[in-house]
Amino acid sequence: MTDERQERQREVPERGAPGVRLDVHHGDSAAPGVEGVEPKLRAQREAVFSLKEVTVRYGTKPAVRDITFDIGETEITALIGPSGCGKSTLIRCLNRMNDLIPGAAVGGRVLYHGHDLYAADVDPVEVRKRIGMVFQKPNPFPKSIYDNIAFGPRVLGMEGDMDEIVERALRHAVLWDEVKDRLKTNAFGMSGGQQQRLCIARALAVEPDVILMDEPCSALDPISTGKIEDLMLDLENEYSIVIVTHNMQQAARVSDKTAFFTVELDEDEKHRTGRVVEFDHTEKIFTNPSDPRTEAYVTGKVG
Amino acid sequence: MPQTTRTHFQEELLALERQALGGLDMVVTALDRALETVQHQDVELASMVIADDDRIDGRYLEVHQGVLSLLARQAPVARDLRLVAAILHVIKHIERMGDQCVNIAKLVPLAGHEPPLDERVLDIIQRMGAQARQQMIECGQAFGRRDVGLAQDLVRQDDEIDRLNRDLFKLVLEIGDDPDRREWAMHMMLVGRCIERIGDNAVDIGEQTAFVVTGLFREFEDASHPELAPPTA
Repeated sequence: MTDERQERQREVPERGAPGVRLDVHHGDSAAPGVEGVEPKLRAQREAVFSLKEVTVRYGTKPAVRDITFDIGETEITALIGPSGCGKSTLIRCLNRMNDLIPGAAVGGRVLYHGHDLYAADVDPVEVRKRIGMVFQKPNPFPKSIYDNIAFGPRVLGMEGDMDEIVERALRHAVLWDEVKDRLKTNAFGMSGGQQQRLCIARALAVEPDVILMDEPCSALDPISTGKIEDLMLDLENEYSIVIVTHNMQQAARVSDKTAFFTVELDEDEKHRTGRVVEFDHTEKIFTNPSDPRTEAYVTGKVG
Repeated sequence: MPQTTRTHFQEELLALERQALGGLDMVVTALDRALETVQHQDVELASMVIADDDRIDGRYLEVHQGVLSLLARQAPVARDLRLVAAILHVIKHIERMGDQCVNIAKLVPLAGHEPPLDERVLDIIQRMGAQARQQMIECGQAFGRRDVGLAQDLVRQDDEIDRLNRDLFKLVLEIGDDPDRREWAMHMMLVGRCIERIGDNAVDIGEQTAFVVTGLFREFEDASHPELAPPTA
């Protein structure tokens, strides 16, 4: 993988007013007349990932097939759908986690900033440094809070003052004020929500470009969930985030774009395979979806 | 005080409220211009009022879409839910105020070119307009500050518009004996009716203020049950 991305200065999008995602005809804009107002959509972003007819097989069975859509830079993309639709399988393709599963094979192309993520010369370790992941269950190392954060930077030989790296990561994850006086205590002494934010801080410490989150709040109470969601919205300015969630309302609350997956019988009627039914702005998915299968799912009429 | 969460949602809700109340500034401008067209039979300015109403309609559509989006994405509850519902009513009333300004502007050319005027009629219309303008501003302040007292005071203020409207009616009846001024006077009666409706819309926005604060919706004045109206401040 080239260092082009590392060299490139990260563009922080203009946020404007807090309700910027609502502005299409804001203020003294030209009148929309009687044409109506389309859902307020943020400007099209550069793609951090381009998925082109991606199919993932476990052995001979395809788990998901023919997935094609772009994931935008510095925005939050949610993958939703019923159990078994392949959304977790797909998110694991984005940092080559499936490499670790025997028999898993990825077809099609996964482009990361235009580079084939599965090209022969790509180092999976470098991939996972740039594309961090947070899992369903908080998984801190059995170490101190400090060492949890410092672990990645030390392994990768990152230069700089380690105390600063740790503090920066914890501040980024809005955890610093809660733990600054007990950095040397064991991370297992933290609450579940704090542990999950520690895992996010740990992912941030190695200065990734993308954060993948696989059901990051399903083990947390509503208050901790709210903190993680606020954190995601804070991080969105600087990072591209992809989240898999069973909680449709969570996708609705935090994401800019949503991909709705479903699981259908293959032509041979022997295998059930995940597919993307609809990918669009989240507001569109939840106010006026294009596909009746999306409508049925988001309104709770099937599932 | 525990650390609050969902700050982004609260910011979005606040922005939506400001976007809706910002519509009041647009209709205040529309009313100022509409009153000027009446005062000076300025047909060009009347055309501008009519054309500019598209901006107010646009604001309505923006806020309507914003309300749908917030309901769909954020599932607001309790006071947040009442606020979102109230914002939809508020922007509808603002849009109606804009339409009344258009109605006034459309009446100006119908009243004829350089019609014979009656200064007393124009004076009442200007006083009604000034009162409606004040109510437009105060209903926005009441809603923005969640000030139920100020909201209820709009009823008292609106009584002044109603009183002036009755005076206008009597005057137009009197002028009706004069065939040269009869038609113009009838049109001015319709202008008065438009302004009176704007005052009612301001009171409606006041009622939404009380709904957001108390959780109970009740008309400040129910025309069909005047005995049930709460005492005004």
